[in-house]
Amino acid sequence: MKNTNRKAMKTIFSVAVGIMLSGTLSASAQAFDYPEPGDFALGAKQWADSCTRCHNLRGPNELRDDQWITTMFHMRVRAGLTGRETRNILTFIQASNNSLPSNPLMNTSDIVVSKKSSYSGKEIYDQTCIACHGPRGKGAIPGVPDLTDMNGRLSQPYDTLLINVIRGLQSPGSTMAMPPKGGNPNLSEADIRAVIDYLQSNVGSQ
Amino acid sequence: MKKMCAQIALVPVIAMVGLSLPVSAAADASLETLKTQVEQLQKQLEIVQARLKEQEQRSATKEDVQQLEKEVVQASEWLSPNTLVHLAGYGDVGYTKSYGDNDDGSFRVGTFAPIFHFQYRDLVMLEAELEIEVEDDGETNTALEYLTIDVFMNDYAALVAGKFLSPIGQFRQNLHPSWINKMASAPPGFGHDGAAPVSDVGFQVRGGLPEFGGIRTSYALYAANGPTLNFEDGELEGIDAEGFNEDADGDKVFGGRIAILPISNLEIGLSGATGKAAVNKDDGEPIDIKLEGQRDYDVYGADFSYQLTSANVAWLQGLGLRGEYVKSKVGSTDKGEAASGGATWTSWYTQAAYRIPTTKIEGVVRYTDFDSAINSADQKQWGFGLNYLFSNNFIAKFNYELNDGVDNDSEADNNRFLFQLAYGF
Repeated sequence: MKNTNRKAMKTIFSVAVGIMLSGTLSASAQAFDYPEPGDFALGAKQWADSCTRCHNLRGPNELRDDQWITTMFHMRVRAGLTGRETRNILTFIQASNNSLPSNPLMNTSDIVVSKKSSYSGKEIYDQTCIACHGPRGKGAIPGVPDLTDMNGRLSQPYDTLLINVIRGLQSPGSTMAMPPKGGNPNLSEADIRAVIDYLQSNVGSQ
Repeated sequence: MKKMCAQIALVPVIAMVGLSLPVSAAADASLETLKTQVEQLQKQLEIVQARLKEQEQRSATKEDVQQLEKEVVQASEWLSPNTLVHLAGYGDVGYTKSYGDNDDGSFRVGTFAPIFHFQYRDLVMLEAELEIEVEDDGETNTALEYLTIDVFMNDYAALVAGKFLSPIGQFRQNLHPSWINKMASAPPGFGHDGAAPVSDVGFQVRGGLPEFGGIRTSYALYAANGPTLNFEDGELEGIDAEGFNEDADGDKVFGGRIAILPISNLEIGLSGATGKAAVNKDDGEPIDIKLEGQRDYDVYGADFSYQLTSANVAWLQGLGLRGEYVKSKVGSTDKGEAASGGATWTSWYTQAAYRIPTTKIEGVVRYTDFDSAINSADQKQWGFGLNYLFSNNFIAKFNYELNDGVDNDSEADNNRFLFQLAYGF
C-alpha cells in the first residue's frame, strides 16, 4: 500500500511536469508582450477576493507601477493565481495607482459635460464599482462605507457625490482611497451621473 | 534832459529783463520734466532688465533642452525595462514576558526578513528571502528562508526550483510573515521543528487552473530531498524539515497541495507528502545516516480560510475565519544506532479575527492543540490578541497566551504576554 502511494505520487508529478513542458512549447509560440493588459473589472474583483484570503489589502498607491509587476508575479506563485488573474489584478492596481488631486475642491462648473451615457447605471456599477462596494453596496473590503446606510454617503447632495466620484475620495478607516472615477478613467460625466442615479434609486433606498 | 534819457534807456532794459524772466522759468520747468521722465525711463529700464534677467534664468537654453531630451529618453527606458528589481520583506520587534519561571520580561528583536525579487519580463523571477534573527546571547543568525527560480511556463503552471516554502498547509507558505500573521507567535506545531514541514529543496510545479462553473482551483506538486530526523534519549525527538541541500537518505519525498474555492471568499485545501527519512543526529551529535534504517515519512494537511468581506450583515464584514490541521508520521526501523519505533506529531489550530468596521482595531482569538512525539512539548493554547493597524502593513499586536502543557514545570505550560510591532514592506 505504501509503495503504491509513492508510485502514485511519482506518476502525478511526472504527468504534471509533462503538462508543464508541453505548455512551454505553446507559450514560446504565443510570445505575448509584457505585461499584456488584463481586464480592469475582473481584476478589481479578483484583487479583493484573492488578497484578503491571507493578508490585509495593500492599497494600489503603496508601490510604484513597476514594483506592482514583481509583487504580482510573486503573488501569482504564492497564491496559486493563473496568469490571466495576475494580469487582471495588475491592470486594476496600476489603473488605480493615482494620488488624489491636491487642488482645491472643484466646482460642478469645472466638470466637462458629456453626451448621454450608453450604459445603464447598473452596468457601470457592476463593471467598475462592485469590487470594492460589493454587489449590494454594503462594501466588499474593510473600511468601505455602507452605501445602504440611509444617513450615509448617498444622503449627501448630488453635486457633492458627483465631485467626489470624479476627484476620488479617502474615507476614514478605509484601506485605500477611492481613485478618481473609481479607477476607470474611461468613465464620462454622464456615466458617473448614471451610476449615482442608479445608486440613489436602488441601493440608498434599501 | 539827461535824467529823462536815462529813464528812456532803462525802459528796454527793464522790458528785456521782464521778458527774460518767464523764459528762464519755463526752461527750468522743462528741464525738471525731462529729468523726471529720464528717471522714470531709467526705472522702467531697470525693471525691464530685471525681468529680462529673470526670464533668461527661467528660459531653457538649447543645451538645457538637449539635456532634458536625454533625460526623457533615459526615463522612458526605466519605465519599461526588461529586468525588474524589487526589495520586499518584513521585520518585527517587541516584548515578551513568560509567567511561571521568574521571567521579568525582555525586549526582543524578532525577525528581519528581506525578500529580493529579480524578474525578467514575464518569463522568470528569482526570489529569495533571508531570515535574520538575534539569539538570546546576542549572536545574529542568518538563514536562507527560500531561494527559488520561478519559470512562468504558461498561464496555468510555474516551475519553482530551489529551496521553497513547504506547500503543506497554509501557515508556512503564506501566513508566517509577522505583518500577515494576526498573532505575535506561530501556532504551536507550525513553527520551526514542529509538526508542519517548513521548507524543502527540489522542484515544484504550481499554479491555478481555469475557473470551472464558478469554482477556482489552485495546486502545487513537488519532488524534494525531504527531511532528516533527530534522535535523543533513545527516542525520535524531532523532524528537521527545513530544506537540506543534500538528499542524505537517497530517497526523494513527493507531495503537493490542492485548494478549491467553491465561492470566492472560501478556500479549502488538502495537502500531503510521502517519502523516506532517516536519523542523522543522535543526542545532537551527527551520525552516519547511510548506516541508519530508512523510515517511512508521511505528512497530511487540511486547511480552510473564510473571509466575510461582503456579508449581508454590515458589522460582520471584516470577520476572517481560518483553520489548519497537520500530521507528520515517521515509521519504525530496527537498523542502525537509532533503531526505534515510529513517532507522530499532530497539530491543529483555528482562528477568528475581526476588524471593527471603519476603525483600525482588530481582535483575534486562536486555539491550538499540538501533540508532539515528545510529551514535554505537548501544548494546548488559547491565544487572545488585540491589534492596532497604523496601516495595513504596520501593526501593533498585544497578545496573551494561556498555555497548557503536560508537564507543569515545562516551558510549554507557561502563560505568556507578547507585544509586537510588525512592518511589511
